[in-house]
Amino acid sequence: MPEAIEIQLKKGALELCVLALLSQHDSYAYEIASQLSDSIGMGEGTIYPLMRRLQTDRLVETYLVESPSGPSRKYYRLTDAGKTSFTSQKSAWNSFAGAVETILGGAK
Amino acid sequence: MTRQAFMVRLMEGLRGLPPTVQAEIIADYNNHFNEAAAAGRNEADVATGLGDPGRLARELRAEAGLKRWEEQRSASSGASAIFAVLGLGAIDILVLLPILMGIGSAIFGIGVAVIALFFVGGVIFAAGPFTGLPGGPAAAILAGIGLMTGAASLGAVLSIVTVGLVNGLVWYGRLHFQLLKPALEPQSVGGLQ
Repeated sequence: MPEAIEIQLKKGALELCVLALLSQHDSYAYEIASQLSDSIGMGEGTIYPLMRRLQTDRLVETYLVESPSGPSRKYYRLTDAGKTSFTSQKSAWNSFAGAVETILGGAK
Repeated sequence: MTRQAFMVRLMEGLRGLPPTVQAEIIADYNNHFNEAAAAGRNEADVATGLGDPGRLARELRAEAGLKRWEEQRSASSGASAIFAVLGLGAIDILVLLPILMGIGSAIFGIGVAVIALFFVGGVIFAAGPFTGLPGGPAAAILAGIGLMTGAASLGAVLSIVTVGLVNGLVWYGRLHFQLLKPALEPQSVGGLQ
């Protein structure tokens, strides 16, 4: 079932994508969710369990920032462990994706 | 689904979690609706985009259960971690339950035996010197101490093994849940599960 494969791929890549976004700049959950749902088409609600897990694993930490409109926003930033994890996950992803790409390219 | 219906179903799913954790999660999703409203999005679309609240609640419960187990190794947190992982449907309960019951009752039986051994040691230590056991009072006291310390170290080994088993189960459940039972749902489809 191709749909199931697609979902599995997205789920696996989700954590990596969140770490990648946060490595560029600190962000809040709504922004992360809308960026990711726009580009990879995931359910936005999934971001919240994931952010809690990343917090449990101490890869991200939070701080509050006053918002110009309405209540303050909870921002996430990468911890040192989060940066290390991102670097190693990124290189693992790249070598895996490169290998798959090579094989796919060979199959016409 | 309206915002209110989503929040009600989410809260139902979160029941039983510590109040502070529930409040944090509720605040997260309320913020999401507020941000989306500020961006001019339709409430029903936002609720659809978030996905199935029951499913999200199960995932959040599992996360909270694992966190509690990681922070505090106790029988109740271990049990709640196991049940939270089971709640995800990551492990087939029909396959797992007989194994769990077998291992659980073996651990329980060994635990009872260890405690009994400890008490036997205590009795020999206290009463042995006055009952004229072969070897005299000193031998009885030493044998009693030996049995008690032996029981204590067996107990320690048993708890290490138990913690290891629960950790292994939790690790397995988490891994397979992530790979096989994604909560991701394409936005166009209401529920894939």
